Amino acid sequence: MRITFGVLNAVSALVLLVGVFAVVQPRFWALDVPAAIIAFVELVSAVGLLARLPWALRALTVSAWVSFVLGLTIVSLIAITIVFLRGIHGDYGVAALAVSSLIVLLLVPYTVVLPALELLWLKRQRAESRP
Amino acid sequence: MTPRTLLRLLGIWLAVLSACSLLIFCSVRIDRNRAPTGPYLVSVWERGSRSARTVVASDPEHALQVAAERPGAQRTIERIVDSAPILWRSWLLLGHSVVPARDGLSATYKGRTAYATPNDLLKLEAYERTLALGPLSLVLGIDVNQVLGALARELETEPAELLRHASFRRFAVVSDAPYPRQVTEADVTVDAIKASVQSAARYLARNQRRDGSFRYEINTVTGTESEEYNYPRHAGATFFLARAGNQFHDAKLQRAGQRAGAFMKDRVTLRCGAHDCIGEGDQVDIGSAALALLAYVELIAGGNEEFRAPALELSGFLRSQQRADGEFQHFYSVSEQHPIDIQVEYYTGEATFALSSVGRVSGNPKDLEGARRGLSFLVKRSPLFLGARYFWGAEHWTCQALADLWQRAPDPIALKFCLDWQAVNRNLQFESPPLPSQYDGGISRGPFMSPRLTPTASRLEAAVATLEVARAAGAPQAQIELLEHQIKRAFAFLLRYQFTPGPTHLMPNAPRVNGGFPGSPIDLHVRIDYPQHAAGALLRYWELEQKN
Repeated sequence: MRITFGVLNAVSALVLLVGVFAVVQPRFWALDVPAAIIAFVELVSAVGLLARLPWALRALTVSAWVSFVLGLTIVSLIAITIVFLRGIHGDYGVAALAVSSLIVLLLVPYTVVLPALELLWLKRQRAESRP
Repeated sequence: MTPRTLLRLLGIWLAVLSACSLLIFCSVRIDRNRAPTGPYLVSVWERGSRSARTVVASDPEHALQVAAERPGAQRTIERIVDSAPILWRSWLLLGHSVVPARDGLSATYKGRTAYATPNDLLKLEAYERTLALGPLSLVLGIDVNQVLGALARELETEPAELLRHASFRRFAVVSDAPYPRQVTEADVTVDAIKASVQSAARYLARNQRRDGSFRYEINTVTGTESEEYNYPRHAGATFFLARAGNQFHDAKLQRAGQRAGAFMKDRVTLRCGAHDCIGEGDQVDIGSAALALLAYVELIAGGNEEFRAPALELSGFLRSQQRADGEFQHFYSVSEQHPIDIQVEYYTGEATFALSSVGRVSGNPKDLEGARRGLSFLVKRSPLFLGARYFWGAEHWTCQALADLWQRAPDPIALKFCLDWQAVNRNLQFESPPLPSQYDGGISRGPFMSPRLTPTASRLEAAVATLEVARAAGAPQAQIELLEHQIKRAFAFLLRYQFTPGPTHLMPNAPRVNGGFPGSPIDLHVRIDYPQHAAGALLRYWELEQKN
């Protein structure tokens, strides 16, 4: 699992970096800063896990919690924005609702599911390493 | 974290998120379809400005009677249907909480309430403002500063004080104002179309200066004119006027077209290499020349032979700008006397259409060949490009070129291209219900913005041209019916918003803009290309129906 999570963290960090900094234009701090933080901690934990460094599990814990909390925050903000605009515009905003929902569905695997699985695995690792 | 903790955490998150969402939704939504229960906002308008306002619970017909009886005064009655609070006193939230063209905003401060109704917001031109948030552009429902300023003046305080301490509500109204008109697909008759085109053409003729130029853009709610001018749009308006004059055998419109043509011929014709071109300064574009050429051909058809030689000059210029692959070099450096191989939107289609059109006058096979190659270039799409079904440019001139060329150089690939583009446009067309009935038939430009008239109109020009060719080519009846339905719904949308006479209570000089088409339901400016495209599409359909 260590290698799997190392590879997955590296891949999701690259997806975030390429997606946000190479594809999305123009630059906007509200998106760039959280994306950069998540990508940075994921890359650090990926290096730690793949190189079997002593601090790898601590780095993975930090990266998983940061991704999980920021991920849930982003999903919450998008959901509340959808609900607000739906309330204001009524049926007029159906297309925007569909696009926003698609964005949420695309974000969830990277920002919620993966860190949640990592946190579950970390718990098991700690339980197994106890004498 | 154990699985149980994770599930508990996610459960709590989901419960909190659902509760917040439900609370927000129920707080902000308003029911526009329920029976009105709110007060009546009675306003009296004189010379386009509100001179009196009162709020009554009943008998609005008897409110402000004396003021309403003054000469030239108009009374409007707007009744509040439903309202909802603005959740926080936030500048950004206020901007996002009002639906353009449909909602008003009230502020209650120290026991007094002021209302900015949809009529007030149209008058203030306060709907839809683009906000630069860092590098991002957000379109807000209203210009918050302007609306706060207006409400603060009514409540005799400062906008900042109002934002800090007032309570705000957005509200929906039913209005007795006869604008936009109630027009359905069934009302789009040949007579209604002819009347609309004549009215739009007369708008242009009425707003023409002695030298043949036009009042370029009129802000109908302030009565002011723009200082700008644009030669491609002048040429487009000339083309439409000349066509309308010829089709309706209307000497006044023909004379207006002739004056507008003479303005280009005598005042803005330059020398570009071996040929004449149209424009000013060091650099010209082929759009001005192409549309001027279309106008000249139409003027020649009306018997104005003085435009024949200039037309042949312009066709020579356009041909000289064409590349071997059929594309055109869109600019020419007048100071350095060479073409500039840069492309922008529209011009290739315009040049193709113009060469096709002049081919009938010149009898020069090079014009027809240039047009054929131009059209072929425009509709060429790689079969390997999967996005070809989804990504489209503005092809209104392309499909008019297709129709113009069809009898002399039929291009089935171009016909398929135009039919596919119209299928995409059908997907972008507003449909009511569930969307607001006044927008039915308009082309969407985003979920939170009102549709604009000119993008709908220019697509209609292409749709009618495509319909003409589809009929001639024997396309399947089902496809033709889809096109006809799409066209009539879009025409109904345009006719709803044409100033016949429009929201005259908001206009200081309503007769001057009679017949014009505005930019959108919330943009009541009339620029010369708005009636050109809208009435141009209607005229094309009228011509087609005459042939049938």
